[in-house]
Amino acid sequence: MPAYHSNLMDTNTKLVGNMALLPLKTQFKGPAPKETKDSDIIDEAIYYFKANVFFKNYEIKNEADRTLIYITLYISECLKKLQKCSNRNQGEKEMYTLGITNFPIPGEPGFPLNAMYAKPVDKQEEETMRAYLQQLRQETGLRLCDKVFDPQTDKPSKWWLCFVKKQFMNKSLSAPGQ
Amino acid sequence: MRLFIMIQGIAIRESAGVGDQAQRRLMRGVDDLDFFIGDEAVDKPNYATKTEPPLNTPENREYLAEIMFETFNVPGLYIAVQAVLALAASWTSRAVGERTLTGIVIDSGDGVTHAIPVAEGYVIGSCIKHIPIAGRDITYFIQQLLREREIGIPPEQSLETAKAVKERYCYICPDIVKEFTKYDADPGKWIKKYRGINAISKNEFLIDVGYERFLGPEIFFHPEFANPDFMQPISDVVDEVIQNCPIDNIVLSGGSTMFRDFGRRLQRDLKRVVDARLKLSEELSGGRIKPKPIEVQVVTHHMQRYAVWFGGSMLASTPEFFHVCHTKKDYEEYGPSICRHNPVFGIMS
Repeated sequence: MPAYHSNLMDTNTKLVGNMALLPLKTQFKGPAPKETKDSDIIDEAIYYFKANVFFKNYEIKNEADRTLIYITLYISECLKKLQKCSNRNQGEKEMYTLGITNFPIPGEPGFPLNAMYAKPVDKQEEETMRAYLQQLRQETGLRLCDKVFDPQTDKPSKWWLCFVKKQFMNKSLSAPGQ
Repeated sequence: MRLFIMIQGIAIRESAGVGDQAQRRLMRGVDDLDFFIGDEAVDKPNYATKTEPPLNTPENREYLAEIMFETFNVPGLYIAVQAVLALAASWTSRAVGERTLTGIVIDSGDGVTHAIPVAEGYVIGSCIKHIPIAGRDITYFIQQLLREREIGIPPEQSLETAKAVKERYCYICPDIVKEFTKYDADPGKWIKKYRGINAISKNEFLIDVGYERFLGPEIFFHPEFANPDFMQPISDVVDEVIQNCPIDNIVLSGGSTMFRDFGRRLQRDLKRVVDARLKLSEELSGGRIKPKPIEVQVVTHHMQRYAVWFGGSMLASTPEFFHVCHTKKDYEEYGPSICRHNPVFGIMS
């Protein structure tokens, strides 16, 4: 079977740029609507992460896939930071910091996938996009801590850290060397 | 028949337990053959079967005949194509009426995998496809995964550790995401321990064997995991061969086809690809052409690992064998060119 795609796209979903503005189950503030179903796009991305990260080629089937790709790349960034954390508390703090750190959005030079993502058309869309991406980052970081830290030893599990070096689609959100 | 010699491996039926040692000294040239066959063949010569890869040149066969008749003094020689012998070996898992020398042989060893279509015992050379994924690539991939996660494996032994893990614990799964979830939910059941000995310090080292159990063989179906230049899954390659030569019977041979459920997964993926293709052609024709469904069948059997040897052994045990062998008398009379052509036999019509 080919790489895993998102199943959450539907015709009512709003778009920001050409990314789907999918609902999230989160306490963090932002433009995302509240998700009423069991699982949201972040759950999906984490579920598919270990398999998807091996793929070097990925075909975008719908806009929700773009959201999925961004979250997958962000998970790799989180793992790099979590590798250096010695306990869950420190991990959660690092994730919070990483989530709100200044990051490039589609259209800006630092963003690695400008070829596939549309630049926001006006200031308002740009603000929405930045706020949505920040919401995604913060919530993903928090949920990852749940999965990565082993409750018994309070240390990050090697079954997640072994994916640190793997690059989904051979791309990374941070520059080489970071 | 006491001796069966193959270009890629030596299996000696009744003599000295040379077995493993033989395997390690393969392919190093004719001088080595002397070591194995040595005095036995020269003193009590027996008819020999040699195998050759498909698309072998007639000159190679002549050279082979020269060595066998002159150096080893065999009274008779038959040179068989490996793929045809693999098909013969598959007869062990079929009813007598269904025995055929027509099929697509998927031969996967350590170096390379081939898909070879054979019709009535003759290889259709122009339709042979190569896949650059085989046992060695799976071992390297597993080595990389282990290195990124486990500590304690002595660096010089990492390749042999990966090989041992591959042979002992690997299998093919139907879906990798579900498999990852299974492993994360119940690690005690799925994650195995491998115990190795450090060759220098003689101490034991213990490692966990996890995702590589199913990720290793998965590269047959997703070559991009391990090879940046090749992306076609094995099911797509076999589908291409089926399109060029409409044969629905697929036989596996070689050590790297021994992964548990390899046949089942290949059959499932092939069926999907074939069905999708037929459906597309039906749609494109506006529903006018209804293609006949192709029932793809992948045959697996006990002797897959040594299928070529086993097929050779079976065919050489039939009385017909003596009639098709080239005799030393003919060699002396007519020369090595008699061995350029070896007729197909063994089908009960």
